[in-house]
Amino acid sequence: MAGNVKKWSNAALGLVCGIGGFLEIGSIATATQAGAEFGVQLAWVVAVGTIGLAVLMEMSGRLAAVSKRTYTDLLRERFGIRFFTAPLVVVLIVSLLALAAEIGGVSTALQMATGVSLRWWALPVAFVAWMLLWRGTFTVVEQGSAIFGIVAIAFAVGAWKLHPQWNEVGAALVPSRPAHDAARYWYIAVSVVGASVSPYLFIFHSSGAIEDAWDTEYVSVNRLSAVLGNLFGGGLSIAVLICAAMVLAPKHANVDSFDIIAQTLATPLGRAGLWFFIATLGITCFGATLEIALSVSYLLAQGFGWSWSENLPPARNARFSMAYTVSILAMALVMVAGIDPLKLTTVTMVVTAASLPLTIIPMLVLMNDTDVMSAYTNGWVANAALVALSILSAVLFVVAVPLQILGGG
Amino acid sequence: MRGLHLVHDVQDAQLLDRHHDKIGRVDGLLLALEDGRPPRVATILVGGRVRDERIGAPVRWFMQLLRTLVDVKSDGISRIPFSAVREISHVVEVDVDGADLASQHVERWLCDHVVRHIPGAYIGRQ
Repeated sequence: MAGNVKKWSNAALGLVCGIGGFLEIGSIATATQAGAEFGVQLAWVVAVGTIGLAVLMEMSGRLAAVSKRTYTDLLRERFGIRFFTAPLVVVLIVSLLALAAEIGGVSTALQMATGVSLRWWALPVAFVAWMLLWRGTFTVVEQGSAIFGIVAIAFAVGAWKLHPQWNEVGAALVPSRPAHDAARYWYIAVSVVGASVSPYLFIFHSSGAIEDAWDTEYVSVNRLSAVLGNLFGGGLSIAVLICAAMVLAPKHANVDSFDIIAQTLATPLGRAGLWFFIATLGITCFGATLEIALSVSYLLAQGFGWSWSENLPPARNARFSMAYTVSILAMALVMVAGIDPLKLTTVTMVVTAASLPLTIIPMLVLMNDTDVMSAYTNGWVANAALVALSILSAVLFVVAVPLQILGGG
Repeated sequence: MRGLHLVHDVQDAQLLDRHHDKIGRVDGLLLALEDGRPPRVATILVGGRVRDERIGAPVRWFMQLLRTLVDVKSDGISRIPFSAVREISHVVEVDVDGADLASQHVERWLCDHVVRHIPGAYIGRQ
């Protein structure tokens, strides 16, 4: 009975994580760009990214619940150190870039709230995030960022109040080709996918399953929360896109600062909208800061077999706790140096998209390995979805850099 | 008799010491060759240098350069006799104390010189 309550409260939590955890600087910035430049036409890309993420989250959770090992553990064990080095280095780079961008996102929110430059805020933000990781447990990190992240629902309210043509939004869920600026269209499409499907999310999710001691009983709960959570999260991303399409596209606004992005909520909701925007940006980026910093530690510790758990005191896993400490500090210093968080975000999302084959294609092997998954291997629907995602990731790898050059300006 | 594949099931597996602490991964396996006797699995190797050998020359050279720059003296490799293996499941449990291993030097050093001195280092579930 108690086990059941825990299981279903976990499902509820997964749902909340989907709502609060989906949006962060990457999805807010890329969905706004998409809406401002192409109206609601790119909604289908958000849908593809959301479905892709739901599939990968379900699999990384199931993998951990069944095999009692994380995705990183299995990447090292099944593919050996030689192959493992490639995803290790690439995921480390994209995660650190994203960490810098998220710290920049929190700092930007504080700059908008106080008028004090984000360069002054980066180190205090990093310190508070570090302190939570140092003293908190996994539950604190996971639930805290999820519950406060609910504030992001403001975007759904904003989209509703702007009275979009809902039939047009529905029609945009079907893929279509651009009428103008093809390179720019596909460039934004790639960055939207990179913003939804970040490899740190599967590393974090499968490590969380081990931290929470999941077993095969959790397979159905995990599936339900992956689907519903991402449905809500993806819905909010589409709400951001609608707000941008309604507010910024008619003005042909150039999305080059967060003050412009804030109009997406300030226009439908007035002064309160501005504060909701600041709260959403600050809280969701802060949650993502914690999750990415922990993911860097998980990746290194699991890859090399170090002692790891966010629930242990730092003295019991010195390398694990120093990994997030050093990462947060170093990436806060990048922000202090005066890098523009918005520019960093768009570049990071494209690099993330290009990195995906290294983390998605091995999943196809692991999810069909009966030694790892026993009776819980992928069915044909899951495999079809994963093959489609693998092909998509290979295409993204090939086109990302050329599109950055042609359409990134 | 149940068989195990050395490379598939043992190489790269998580190692646990006798206190069930994670103490690295099986980075390498050594066969002992003695005259007139068949080869046998003798030693589990753990350490950065063993990994570097397996990854390939550029990584090996780069790491060697780093080690020369920071003047690392010991080779940092732990050699655990295969006879110390107690259980092989999805992890490999060995009857040694992680505190004695050369490959745990960085963990110990960081704990003693950095982590221990930061307030809150002992807060968490034990």
